[in-house]
Amino acid sequence: MDERKMIYIHPAPVRVWHWINAVGIVLLVITGLQIRFAEMMNLFSLEEAINLHNYIGFVVIGAYGLWASYYFGTGKIKLYFPNPKTFICDCKTQIQYYGMGIFKGDPNPHEMTPDNKFNALQKKAYLTIMFILLPIQMITGLFLWRIKKFEDYIDLLGGIKIVDTIHVILFFFFFVFVFVHIYLSTLGHTPLAHMKAMFTGYEEHH
Amino acid sequence: MFQKYKQLACCCIAFLLFIMLYPYTALSVENDECMDCHGDDSLERIESEGMKEGLYLEYNKFKYSVHNVNGITCVDCHSDIEELNYDNEIPHEASLAIVNCDGCHEEEGEAYLNSVHRKAKGKGISIPCYACHGYHYVSHLEADSVFERENGFCLKCHNPNKFHDWLPQKETHFAFVECTVCHAPEVPRYINLRFFDLSRNKFLSGEELLKGLNTDYDGFMPLVDRDGNGIISVNEFNDMILILRHKEVRGTFHGELLVHLEPIVHHVNRGGANRECEQCHIPSSPFFQDVQISLNKPDGTTAQFSVERDVLETYYVSHFYALGGTRIRLLDKIGLAMLVAGAGVVVAHLTARIVTIPVRRKRKLEEKV
Repeated sequence: MDERKMIYIHPAPVRVWHWINAVGIVLLVITGLQIRFAEMMNLFSLEEAINLHNYIGFVVIGAYGLWASYYFGTGKIKLYFPNPKTFICDCKTQIQYYGMGIFKGDPNPHEMTPDNKFNALQKKAYLTIMFILLPIQMITGLFLWRIKKFEDYIDLLGGIKIVDTIHVILFFFFFVFVFVHIYLSTLGHTPLAHMKAMFTGYEEHH
Repeated sequence: MFQKYKQLACCCIAFLLFIMLYPYTALSVENDECMDCHGDDSLERIESEGMKEGLYLEYNKFKYSVHNVNGITCVDCHSDIEELNYDNEIPHEASLAIVNCDGCHEEEGEAYLNSVHRKAKGKGISIPCYACHGYHYVSHLEADSVFERENGFCLKCHNPNKFHDWLPQKETHFAFVECTVCHAPEVPRYINLRFFDLSRNKFLSGEELLKGLNTDYDGFMPLVDRDGNGIISVNEFNDMILILRHKEVRGTFHGELLVHLEPIVHHVNRGGANRECEQCHIPSSPFFQDVQISLNKPDGTTAQFSVERDVLETYYVSHFYALGGTRIRLLDKIGLAMLVAGAGVVVAHLTARIVTIPVRRKRKLEEKV
């Protein structure tokens, strides 16, 4: 008997946001590399790369608005908040699974449901990304987009070089995150299971 | 007989002296004489179009002008005034000849000849030297910032916002890059570093900075440039900041891209401007090779000291950053380490997953059985 069943995990607004964000961040990384390493890369002229980077940046900010509206509007934002009582224990279990159990064929200790779709490590990572790192990246990006306009805020943070340093370090973080995130998406029951779910909305459940 | 020769000799000497000194005594017009009239702030004349033209000269400003400081008198420039005739209402010609600046500033005049400003004459627009430099209060410009240089010159006529819509961050470029850096590309440029005191919220003059270092202009390089190679290295630069901090002087160096004030700066031409972003925004750009710390003096001159280019990558120059061009390369190394670590984890995990496929297959089979 086939025990598989399909569970609707990712509602349409989340999927739309996810793919806009995904394509946006990949393009921001590519144009960001062109801007930073203009002497090594030749995909676009620097002028084109800067303009593209700015436009895409605003698209990603818009997508973040969609994400925030949906999650706060529906109250589903609580999906991102770990349970403080079980958090450390859940993290340990999940680390043991990714570090050992997965190789032995153990089942994933976290069972994905619409009300609890992230495991403890995902909650920790996404909470940090969506509530801290991405907003910082968007704000510093905004400052760098119009340096004179935001001069006072930039000075308050210690100058353009400090703002740029924050933006660049986070840029490298998101660059690495894209790789790691794509790899982690292959850790479902089949390598493409999570990826498919992010298109259809339905996650296969065993 | 001897007495007769002596008298003749005296007459000859007196005559010679008279001949030698005559032109001077007859033509010399002292500045004070000019100021007798031109020191009156109500002095003006009505031009043919009916407009009033002020003829007042503020002596307190004039006396600090670069020309007066160098002993250039009124009649050195207004050389058509040979003498003052006080019998007339106006003791010299009412209309004076246009001052010929090229007479002294030959190289500047030559560079200006082929410039777009000189060529405007073909369209009936005459732009004499004083249209930009002013008349009587010409001062040293070396110590001026981009803001002062632009406001004093280009922005008198030009509105840069009209023509730079293509330029990303145009306001930032206008604030940190002097117009002629791009529009007179033959002129040598340099990054000018000035110390901004964060507690006093102002740029320190040369004297103020030197006071913080407990030295003077002559002692600056021996104090800072410890290896004596004539250029301040990154370490020496950092040590200088530390000395200032010990003296409770806390601040940061502000950078600007300026041109050296050489005659060729007058050779501004249409279509000659740099428009390729990559010329500037790469680390090997010639725009960032010459870096100078400027210690500004009260008379508008400045003492400049060469600094290693890598200083621009330090956080002590926190308010100057040219995208890509002066990027902090340590961040690139950190980024590379993050990438290697991320890719390493992924590759290691993937490898372990591939290697352990038989283990999982075996377990699945056992579970089926």
